[in-house]
Amino acid sequence: MLTAPDLDRRQLESLLGRTSPVVKLGLALAWLIGLATTLRAGPPIGLALVALAAGRWLGNVPPRRLGRGLAPLAVAALSIALANLLFSGSNSSPAATEIARLGPLRITQEAAMAALALGARVMAIVSVGAIFAQTTDPTRLVDSLVQQVRISPRFAYGALAAYQAVPRLAEDLATLRQARRIRGLASTWHPRLLVGLLVRAIRHADQLALAMDARAFDSGPRSTFRPIRWTWRDLAVGAGGRVILGVALR
Amino acid sequence: MTNAVPSPATAAVAALPATRWRTRDILVTAIIGVVFGVAFVALNTAWSVIAPASAVAPLGAFLIYGGWLVPAVLAPLIVRKRGAALFAELVAAGVSSLLVSPWGPDVLLSGFVQGMAAELVFALTLYRNWSLPVIAIAAIASAAAAWIHDWAVYYADIAIDVQIARGVAMAVSAVVIVALGSIALVRALRRAGVLEGFPA
Repeated sequence: MLTAPDLDRRQLESLLGRTSPVVKLGLALAWLIGLATTLRAGPPIGLALVALAAGRWLGNVPPRRLGRGLAPLAVAALSIALANLLFSGSNSSPAATEIARLGPLRITQEAAMAALALGARVMAIVSVGAIFAQTTDPTRLVDSLVQQVRISPRFAYGALAAYQAVPRLAEDLATLRQARRIRGLASTWHPRLLVGLLVRAIRHADQLALAMDARAFDSGPRSTFRPIRWTWRDLAVGAGGRVILGVALR
Repeated sequence: MTNAVPSPATAAVAALPATRWRTRDILVTAIIGVVFGVAFVALNTAWSVIAPASAVAPLGAFLIYGGWLVPAVLAPLIVRKRGAALFAELVAAGVSSLLVSPWGPDVLLSGFVQGMAAELVFALTLYRNWSLPVIAIAAIASAAAAWIHDWAVYYADIAIDVQIARGVAMAVSAVVIVALGSIALVRALRRAGVLEGFPA
């Protein structure tokens, strides 16, 4: 999967789609930090469900698309839970209740609870991330960063111009692999592919830079093509999300 | 092709202050971030496969951890500007989160701490020393930041000895993949002729 998710109109014109990207971003980071402060399983499970419900009804994200995006991520949650289960500090504590024994490893109830909580934490983080990606257009994100957070436009639009090269890079990668196959080399992953890809990417970046300089990229005062203003949605989503986090962590 | 005497163009570039970014510096740093942001998709998949298995063969997965930290060293090594480590790692994180990474908004936080740690090391040399030891220290600093971050967010309950083993594996990975890997990549890119006009 080398392309950004296609967002249709319904997603972009939903409540979450029209909320300022930096508000969503700030909220996602606030939730993340809030989640990192608790080792109970309740808050992350609650927040994950709220995020998914908000994505469905406030963001018009099709459930099928969300499911497809989240399925491989469940593996990540599982691996984090497993690592915490097997290597928990409470497994060696004599006070902890033993529930199973795997060879030399002692599994305790305390470890299982923490593993559940940390696995749920990953699911919550992932759900928030998926909803953000499914309701946010990258161009609008950059516009918002420049206009609402005052990030340097040279860096922000430079990064956006480079980001637009993703489909081209995917094509380059396919070409490079075909070239290897024609020469009778294995078509699996090889560090040479990365070198080839970087060579093509840097050449492309050079051309972009030249083209942008030729059009006087940020050599004078800028005007704004797509103005972004704060609206009631930003306040509602920001405050609502903050309240939900507070309730979940109680 | 090796040049013992730097050409006038190279000398002029080397004399440019580390604070002035040309458009070309911005675009090349950003595209390195983008290339790695895309590569992270493959790395995330590999991690999902290896990580559960590494619970059996402990900590093997952490040896590939350096893969996520390469932009924080490779980009500054090429453009040699203030902020390049942070910028490249943030772009990589941003791209990876837009392509729906399993770590959601946490990619951005990770990218920030990883890029910032490498950035601080380069800043301490005033962006003047690009020798192997400095590069290795920057790579290890980046891994250390990631280690602490992951401890707090993902491995909060894990025993201290396992945390230390995880840290050692990440440091080894940082030196091999990030430091030596970046140097090898720069050499290959220079040979390919795409670094003309860069101090690297």
